[in-house]
Amino acid sequence: MKTDFSLRSLEGLLEAFLERMVHLKHRRLGVLGGINRLDDIARQNDPDEIADEVGDWFAEHNQWLTESVLKPADIDRIGKILGEINGHISAEASSSPAARKVVQEIGRWQEKSGARSSKLVLKRGAETTEDSEEMDTISLFGSSFERCAALFADFSGGKKHLLSVLDDSLKSAVVQKNKQALLLSAYLIYYLKLNGYIVDPFVKRLKAAERLHKEGSTANA
Amino acid sequence: MLNPGEKAYCQALLALKSKSYRLAAEEFEKAAPHFKNDREFNLIMETNRVLVAVKKKIAAQESDTIEVEEILPYG
Repeated sequence: MKTDFSLRSLEGLLEAFLERMVHLKHRRLGVLGGINRLDDIARQNDPDEIADEVGDWFAEHNQWLTESVLKPADIDRIGKILGEINGHISAEASSSPAARKVVQEIGRWQEKSGARSSKLVLKRGAETTEDSEEMDTISLFGSSFERCAALFADFSGGKKHLLSVLDDSLKSAVVQKNKQALLLSAYLIYYLKLNGYIVDPFVKRLKAAERLHKEGSTANA
Repeated sequence: MLNPGEKAYCQALLALKSKSYRLAAEEFEKAAPHFKNDREFNLIMETNRVLVAVKKKIAAQESDTIEVEEILPYG
């Protein structure tokens, strides 16, 4: 009887957890359901049936483009599936008015979503002088060292302890992915270590910042 | 089209939504190789797996109880 009670209570707990998860992901599940439905439609063979069902799908999900429910990856997925449907319908049922309407609708969707996803984003790397490639490593390090010193001056203003400067420097390295702040942090950690401070927590933060910086560099490449 | 892993994950979540836990478990199994490093996926899949096992156990106990109840009236 006790086992039965324990099992029932565990069942209730697990169900409640999953229900809550579903509730939290309610909107996302709606999108996934829609994408899954479109994918099912794309897997059918009869072009007329596909045209009918895509028409219904558009009627149900057209508002996605005006509401901000779709992630860029969703727009990309839907665009690809619609592209495949478009190819299928255009090749096999070009004479059907329903199919032509669906092809037009697909074009309209792709135009709208394309306009949204091709938003122009300007990204700029770290500032460099024009002849940086020709500079030798000593000059490059010298200039980096100067920038670190300037950064140190900024961070240390009004602070009472070097640990606070290090804290700010690490924050800047993480939030702004600032390479100079990363270098400055490493320098400060080593200095503190040589002076007998416990630096392990800062080393962990430095490594995390370094990982972020590497990921950022890879993403920008 | 969606790759098999994405589709299975998607169907598993939709099955959870409709409380079809056993179907969700089957779909999670199909999706698992594609999401083995996804912590959220693993958490949901394992929770669902335990839930299905608990339900199975409860069902087994209930059937035992029914047998006992059926036997008793007839001595």
